[in-house]
Amino acid sequence: MARYALTVNGRRRTIEAEPDTPLLWVLRDELGLTGTKYGCGVGQCGACTVHLDGVAMRSCVVAISSLGAQRVTTIEALSPGGDHPVQRAWIDEDVPQCGYCQAGQIMMAASLLAHSPKPSDAEIDQAMSGNLCRCGTYPRIRRAIHRAAAEGRKA
Amino acid sequence: MTGPALDRRAFFQVGATAAGGLLVTLWWKGTASAASATPAAGPPASAAAKGASLGAFVRIDPDGTIVIVSARPEIGQGVKTSIPMLLAEELDVDWERVRVETTEDVDAKYLDQFAGGSTAVHDSWEPVRQLGAAARATLVAAAAERWGVPAAECSTERGEVRHPSAGTLRYEAVAERAAALPAPKDVKLKDPSAFRIIGRPTRTVDLAEVVTGRTKYGLDLRVSGMLYASIERAPVFGGRVGKVDSRRALAVRGVRKVVPISTEGTALASGRPTAGSNGVAVVATSTWAALKGRKALSIEWVDGPGAAESTESLRARMAKASGEPAGKVLRNDGDFDEAFAGAAKKIEAVYEVPFVAASPMEPMNCTARTTETGCELWAPTQNPYSARSFAGRVLGLDREKLKDTVPVHLLRPGGGFGRRLDTDYAAEAALVAKAAGGAPVQVVWTREDELRHGLYRTCGLHRMRAGLDAKGAPVAWSHALVNPSRYRWQHSEQEPHASEVTPDDFPAAFIPNFRVGYTEIESVVPRGYFRSMVPGVNNFVLQSFLDEIAHAASRDPVELRVALLGDDRKLPYDGHGGPTFDTGRLRRVLETAAEKGGWGKRAPAGRFRGIACGFVFGSYVAELAEVSIGRGGVARVHRVVAAVDPGIVVNPEGARKQVEGAVLDGVNMALRLEITVKGGRVEQSSFGDYPFLRMADAPAIDVHLVGSGAEPWGLGETGAPPAVAAVANAIFAATGERRRRLPLRPSPAGRA
Repeated sequence: MARYALTVNGRRRTIEAEPDTPLLWVLRDELGLTGTKYGCGVGQCGACTVHLDGVAMRSCVVAISSLGAQRVTTIEALSPGGDHPVQRAWIDEDVPQCGYCQAGQIMMAASLLAHSPKPSDAEIDQAMSGNLCRCGTYPRIRRAIHRAAAEGRKA
Repeated sequence: MTGPALDRRAFFQVGATAAGGLLVTLWWKGTASAASATPAAGPPASAAAKGASLGAFVRIDPDGTIVIVSARPEIGQGVKTSIPMLLAEELDVDWERVRVETTEDVDAKYLDQFAGGSTAVHDSWEPVRQLGAAARATLVAAAAERWGVPAAECSTERGEVRHPSAGTLRYEAVAERAAALPAPKDVKLKDPSAFRIIGRPTRTVDLAEVVTGRTKYGLDLRVSGMLYASIERAPVFGGRVGKVDSRRALAVRGVRKVVPISTEGTALASGRPTAGSNGVAVVATSTWAALKGRKALSIEWVDGPGAAESTESLRARMAKASGEPAGKVLRNDGDFDEAFAGAAKKIEAVYEVPFVAASPMEPMNCTARTTETGCELWAPTQNPYSARSFAGRVLGLDREKLKDTVPVHLLRPGGGFGRRLDTDYAAEAALVAKAAGGAPVQVVWTREDELRHGLYRTCGLHRMRAGLDAKGAPVAWSHALVNPSRYRWQHSEQEPHASEVTPDDFPAAFIPNFRVGYTEIESVVPRGYFRSMVPGVNNFVLQSFLDEIAHAASRDPVELRVALLGDDRKLPYDGHGGPTFDTGRLRRVLETAAEKGGWGKRAPAGRFRGIACGFVFGSYVAELAEVSIGRGGVARVHRVVAAVDPGIVVNPEGARKQVEGAVLDGVNMALRLEITVKGGRVEQSSFGDYPFLRMADAPAIDVHLVGSGAEPWGLGETGAPPAVAAVANAIFAATGERRRRLPLRPSPAGRA
């Protein structure tokens, strides 16, 4: 066991964990942040996507010992009021079905838009194809990303 | 007779009874007495004490908020929105004033808490509207009493009771009195022309929670003092634990216990082992410690006879059996042999489908805590009563007392797709909790467990033969299916073929000499559910083979189907979604899909079209797929146009979402999904080698809701089956190559 000082959702947290513990399980089991989901544990589905210093990462393959000083943001703190343009667009397009993968999808889409404010369909395909949805909400996710991009331009 | 099959059937019966007309008085009385006995019986909410409960599903708060309880498993099919819409319609309130609250309680007062077979909307249609109308009637009675006027002179509108001279009273003003009144003797339902909520596109009620990560799924349960567990299961189906060396696992920090787990012999009535019925559980203080501990186990397995089975050995056995007379002839119109022998043109083909795993995004999990009398379960499931009885059975508890000894909290599942109709994972959790003593234990499956130790939609081989007359009309048809039966696996009281083929499926009754045969073979691979089940397989076969007939006869595939359907009429249909099949409704969706999809017009350059239709679980559906063929002959689906008629559409927005998702699952089946077995073990391990479609692969989907006033059926599964054949038929249009084995891959000769 080792002690780690983390910055999660703007708060300093100190935890004790084995160095190889994936960030995913630290968030879920140690910090009670269950909005970040387990889907495969091997970085193939994207359900566990969080932001490290604003960039989307699969938290299931980030060992806690490798995190360093990177700031972690989870779905719970993507926006203070749950009103990030991506979250609003997700509601307007009525995207979720079972909803389990959507936290990861939203974190991925927010990261995409932060780096490419007006993504083409090809860019959306490239950025979002690591995030699996079993319910088949892809057409609505695509529309919601375009909608969020348009909202972002107005703002 | 006990077993998961019975649990399910019991629930279909409940549904059928409810749909046939619920006795509102019974429901009301039962609820009212329960409500006075315990506050937990009314709608659950912090403000429960302040509001007035009108039965188990309705509470009216003093501020006029209408609370409607959602008690069915919400697996992404949208029942949390659509079923409260039914109730709100008859209660006659503004949807904007409705707040839907989910209950975790599993109780008879909540009617049928089951999600499977696209039945939820259909089975709720009558009883839930009656509950709403009953609540409305008591509000009217309370207002009439206060005014001193006959109730018959009162009407309601948008949350108010009205009287021509007495004026208006808001529901919240009379709710307390209404809650004390007896149930109305009989209630009158609205004429559909007066619907204001049913039929209106309505947004899912809990989007704000989902998009902020606040929605709690099964794996998100956190109970004080809880432990986590993961199970290493016998790698070969039917295998057993030999020798376990747990020293290294116990040395992993956080690991508390290593215990062998077996549900074998108790799982099903006959003692046949279920999937993953033998394994070793590692119980720890965190998920990661449990997973690490599991990796550190050293186990010698006893593989047993299952090790001899493989996909190739199954295929060989099915092929051999298909050349022999069918084990059972299920339909035999006219004389196939004679008509086939005399046909001007003969067509023969063999189709094959693989095992598939539903594999929802949230892997199986269940939290269980041993109590003095039994076990408390927190289960994300489509089938909570099955979870209760399966857990009770492995613990050896009295079947009659399970309501008290195995309380179940119904948690939201991250997807179902049929996998969560089977509740093996709840039974395992009950056993792990027993071994752990009194602490609650969350048993977590990995994705590998999900693919390797689940229950699978079964495989099969279909030998098809057809004979055409000189004009190109099909006059003889034979469909011979060979496969391992799901009902056999479940030890159902029904015959093995009944879970595998519906002999009334189109084009039955439209070809004079028509035969359907079934031959069962054995397999060690556990058989369960996958979205769209029987039609998902058979529609692919029947609608592909019809396409073959059309091409052999140089006829247009749409024209052939329309000609076969002929005049509109209703035919008997002995299968799920029956008892009748309306040929006119099928023809209309087919014509709509053809027209909207541009059938007969030029497709964009490099794209080719295929079409298919079907009667799926009570709804009618047709789909046109547009594909192109890329490098190596691999097909890509660009667009699917779907036309569906589920009867009355309760929530058009929800209906569209369900069809979109089901179409993508159809394309998954067409192009991607296959579980293969070698040495009695599943070869796939995760999303890399079991590759569901991703964003870049997803076609555009146009959904056309073809209205009809018929009683509504669900749409969770309807959209999937025709997508498979539509893609197969489009590939043929593009390549001239008929791909007959799922998933549809290029034959070596077809590779460009």
